[in-house]
Amino acid sequence: MSALLQVTDVTKTFAGIVALDGVNLEVEVGERVGLIGPNGAGKTTFFNAMMGVIPADTGRVELGGVDLSDRPVHERARAGIGRTFQRTELFTDSTVRDHLLVAERVRRGHGRFWKDVLGLGRPTDDEVAQCDQVLELLGLRSLAAEPIERLSLGQCRLVEVGRALMTEPTLLLLDEPSSGLDRSETAALAQTLRDVQDEQGFAILLVEHDVELVADFTTRTYVLDFGRVLTEGPTHDVLNSPEVRAAYLGTMEPTG
Amino acid sequence: MHVLAASALEDLFRAFLQGLPPGTVYALFALGFVLTYKTSGVFNLAFGAQAYVSAAMFFKAREQWGWEIPPALVLSVFILAPLVGLLLEGVIFRHLRTAGDLPKLVVTIGLAVALPNLFNVLASFEPTPGVTPAGIVPDGATVFYDPFGVYPFSRDELVAVAVAVVAMTALAGLFRFTAIGLRMRAVVESPRMTELNGIPADRISAVAWMLSSFFAGIAGVLIAPRFNTLAPGDFFGLMVIAIAAASVGKLASLPGALVGGLGLGVFIAEANTFLPRWAESSSWLEPLQDNLTPAIPFMVLFGILVLVPGIRRAKAATDPLAGVDPPPPSIGMVERSRRDVLLSRVAGTVFVVGVLAIVLTQGDQVWVFRITEAVALATIFLSITVITGLGGQISLCQGAFAATGAFAVFQLVDRYDMGAIPAALVGAVIAAALGALLSLPVRRLGGVWVAIATLAFAYFFDSVVLQLPFVGGGDTSLFQGTAVPRPVVGPWDLGSDKSFLVFAVVVLAIVAVLVVNLRSGTLGKTLLAIRGSEVAAQSVGISPGRARLVAFAVSAFIAAIGGSLMAMHQENVNYGNNFEPFLAVFWLVLVAVLGVRTVSGAIQGAVAFTLFDPLILKGELLGWILRSPESVPGVFPIVSTWVFILFGFGAIQFARHPQGILEYQLHRRAVKAAEKRDGPGPGPPDGSSTGAEVDERTEEPVG
Repeated sequence: MSALLQVTDVTKTFAGIVALDGVNLEVEVGERVGLIGPNGAGKTTFFNAMMGVIPADTGRVELGGVDLSDRPVHERARAGIGRTFQRTELFTDSTVRDHLLVAERVRRGHGRFWKDVLGLGRPTDDEVAQCDQVLELLGLRSLAAEPIERLSLGQCRLVEVGRALMTEPTLLLLDEPSSGLDRSETAALAQTLRDVQDEQGFAILLVEHDVELVADFTTRTYVLDFGRVLTEGPTHDVLNSPEVRAAYLGTMEPTG
Repeated sequence: MHVLAASALEDLFRAFLQGLPPGTVYALFALGFVLTYKTSGVFNLAFGAQAYVSAAMFFKAREQWGWEIPPALVLSVFILAPLVGLLLEGVIFRHLRTAGDLPKLVVTIGLAVALPNLFNVLASFEPTPGVTPAGIVPDGATVFYDPFGVYPFSRDELVAVAVAVVAMTALAGLFRFTAIGLRMRAVVESPRMTELNGIPADRISAVAWMLSSFFAGIAGVLIAPRFNTLAPGDFFGLMVIAIAAASVGKLASLPGALVGGLGLGVFIAEANTFLPRWAESSSWLEPLQDNLTPAIPFMVLFGILVLVPGIRRAKAATDPLAGVDPPPPSIGMVERSRRDVLLSRVAGTVFVVGVLAIVLTQGDQVWVFRITEAVALATIFLSITVITGLGGQISLCQGAFAATGAFAVFQLVDRYDMGAIPAALVGAVIAAALGALLSLPVRRLGGVWVAIATLAFAYFFDSVVLQLPFVGGGDTSLFQGTAVPRPVVGPWDLGSDKSFLVFAVVVLAIVAVLVVNLRSGTLGKTLLAIRGSEVAAQSVGISPGRARLVAFAVSAFIAAIGGSLMAMHQENVNYGNNFEPFLAVFWLVLVAVLGVRTVSGAIQGAVAFTLFDPLILKGELLGWILRSPESVPGVFPIVSTWVFILFGFGAIQFARHPQGILEYQLHRRAVKAAEKRDGPGPGPPDGSSTGAEVDERTEEPVG
């Protein structure tokens, strides 16, 4: 059986500097996979290349057997890749619920122009209910009508997760979700994610600095260094391998 | 055969020489422009206005005060120009560092309108029509030197080249050898490092502005002899050429701007030489040939955009020093209750209907005329609400779209005897197609590129499209009048002014409802999301390109409807009075100042445009209040220039409150009310209170 996400031989060069050098990566259905690496290892570049934000020089990105390599960002999103952002990317002047509503409308794909013209474009009760269900799941239900500017960073990250979930992704990419959060906030976020994932069954690819979160959250991990996959395997083994600890973790105590 | 080829070569060379002097001036312009853009992130559309101020000062000192050339030059270029730059930076742009691209752009557009008018009022300067400004050497027009025996350079031209070369060399020297130049280069090349090294941001920014303003001034004085009459609009058009030149270097490279400027100068001269010959065999070139210079920026810009796809990924320059202090947190959006929204909508409608009733029953012909004009204009302004308010894009060619609608009615009625209303609809569809087409190369680019592309199109329309026989009806028709009939709706002939006013209000109401529906529907929400974060919008499957294309098309459609309404009202297209590019730029300023996101903002903008001058400035209102027009104080009537000055400077506050003055006031009231209710300060309120109220709230601002 082939993997849900199959990234094959992705290479990206910036003005002669090889940022990604033949990266291969797989994520199975419903799996939680980590991607770690020191600063400048190419994590973000990989992320962007996979989403189509920057065009890769070579390589294939397949999701569920469908080749997405030449598709623009929004089509990859529609194909089932949801994502969050390291520096939160939110819709200013919108409420929490608005963030989810617009995603829900796009997913349903019935935002026809003529409906807007006739004044039938407002959110339906059904859509609102759908959004509120996800907000409930994330513990944001009581903040639904709040403007996004009033939320804490931790809550904003959850809104991003909720927005991504509205697209009903088969794969959720989390880009350093712990950055800017303290330990307890990170733990809470991880717990929420795990609960939601149990319910909905999507796979997660976690790009993270926080080794503890990776150890705690993922079952398998890739280590990226200088644009190459240094090693890959069960998280516990990877984090304890001498190679990885030398290259990246320094003197850190074994974990997980 | 041999002789012919030789003469063609000679012509080529002659045109090359001929193009050099204007080319160097374009290059100066472009350099100054890129300088502020790179060092302060301000895409300064007021640059042409700065050039005008210096040129006008020089003209005034020479012609009206009778000064000698050197003191006049010192005053206008070496004192006034840097001073203007310093003031603009210190009083306005320094404080806007953290504002977004769009608000900053609007501020510069406001200044582009306000500055020349302010100068004219302060210096009581009135450009004398038909008097060609003199250059900076005596007898500038006389032939001075003919190096190759093909093209005789005039003294003005040679001086222009010499001054431009000296100024550019000085700039290069400044960058290379002085401390401040080094710091400016540092800012340009590595903003982060500059910040970390503690380089004084304010001083660099001030110096850059003074320098660029000096460049504007010198370019303005040098180019002035090429115009018949000093007019701010010409300098604005000149700036569009300079921007096209700068786009050769992706708006970011000084050498690129230099090459672009020279190249454009030569290109225009070559085209001026050869186009008339080709036009003899292919007549479609004719409209182009007569108005080549204003048409060039559009062709160059779109040529670059279409042929160099890499430019579409060019990142907009942000203020490299903006990171020094992070942007202030946005005031939390406070939603008004559905009751408030309903109340203000009902109140607004009652007010409008009331005014209408009074005008229809009591008003004289002048009032009916004024109000109808405001209604037609409000319809056009709603197109700005769509593209700028909802779409977050600055379009400066709404005048061209409106004119498309107006000309469509003129042509279709005139040629095919079509009814006025179907003709207007056809025109609107044509405009929508035009808008969609225009958005194709720019829809993925930042706001700055959209603004200049639309501006360039506005000038292209003005200079070329307009001349086409199936648009403006050719030269003669344009001058003799492009008559447009009043429509007939079923049994009603709208020939009388009052009945047409009713019709216009109905059209406005329909368009207003359309805009409100779009705003609260999928398109509005999608555009709002894109404006908030384009990457995030894409990550949920939104295609920003498609959404912007639709926004452009809808906006052009609405503008055309409004334009045809205006033409039917005046029973003539009156292009020069109603739709010319510089005027359309002012529209944006008006709507931005009063409220770019709401229907009421558009209506108030239109009312301000038509009524501010007669009512306030001409003292009609005061006369009415005092019950006797004779006792109005002597300061009235005030020149109508003040409309442009007041609203132009009013645009500055747009950077602080992008929702517009009126919306901002409502907003503040709502925040205060919310504070009274929830206690002061933002923060996650407890869940119990919001949960219950959720369903009573509504998302959209009042229409």
